[in-house]
Amino acid sequence: MEKAIKVINEMQASGIIKKYAVGGAVAAIFYIEPLLTYDLDIFFVPAKESEGLLVLSPVYDYLKGKGYKTEQEHIIIEGIPVQFLPVYNDLVKEAVDNAVRMKYKDTVVNVLKQEYLLAIMVQTFRPKDKQRIIKFLDEGNVSETLLEEILNNHQLKTRFDLFRRS
Amino acid sequence: MMDIDAKGSEDIYKLFKAKEQFHRERARLPIEEKIKMLVELQKMAVDIPTPSKKNRYKRVWEI
Repeated sequence: MEKAIKVINEMQASGIIKKYAVGGAVAAIFYIEPLLTYDLDIFFVPAKESEGLLVLSPVYDYLKGKGYKTEQEHIIIEGIPVQFLPVYNDLVKEAVDNAVRMKYKDTVVNVLKQEYLLAIMVQTFRPKDKQRIIKFLDEGNVSETLLEEILNNHQLKTRFDLFRRS
Repeated sequence: MMDIDAKGSEDIYKLFKAKEQFHRERARLPIEEKIKMLVELQKMAVDIPTPSKKNRYKRVWEI
């Protein structure tokens, strides 16, 4: 995975993407016990504004130019299926802007903060999100203050409170 | 009878506490260890049929 992260860091350094952060299950694994996933989700802020899926073109063009192949909606970077997801709403944009720099082996990697991961899960609220929310509350080291602030700012507090009480 | 039930409840409570502790300890492992565990999970699960089309994509990572 380290090699894949290095490639993504290079993409940021060379301006293919403006900013990125690991999200989804792999980001969760930074904070809670491992859970099964097959892809590495990368949320990114595009270097240029484009309409719809055109925003992915520079990413795919760059990676295909490096010889990486696509498989369904993934691109296989150094043996890891990576899915690039442009920031799609204010919460996700804010989450990427506030990502934390962590280390994987000797390589720096930007990862969503667990409070933002939780807020995104509350927003998407699929059955697997609900399971993960419970795990974060049990195993993570969540800042209640920051979480509450994010939830309030994005009108998610009521949904979260109802879920927590259920 | 009450005593036996109470003792049983206490044992179950301890068992659940131990389970919670086990999960919390795994959560505190270094990320590199956790990614190795993820790959082991992928190897175990890759051949299990998935009913949902959405979750059909499976590929064991090369790390």
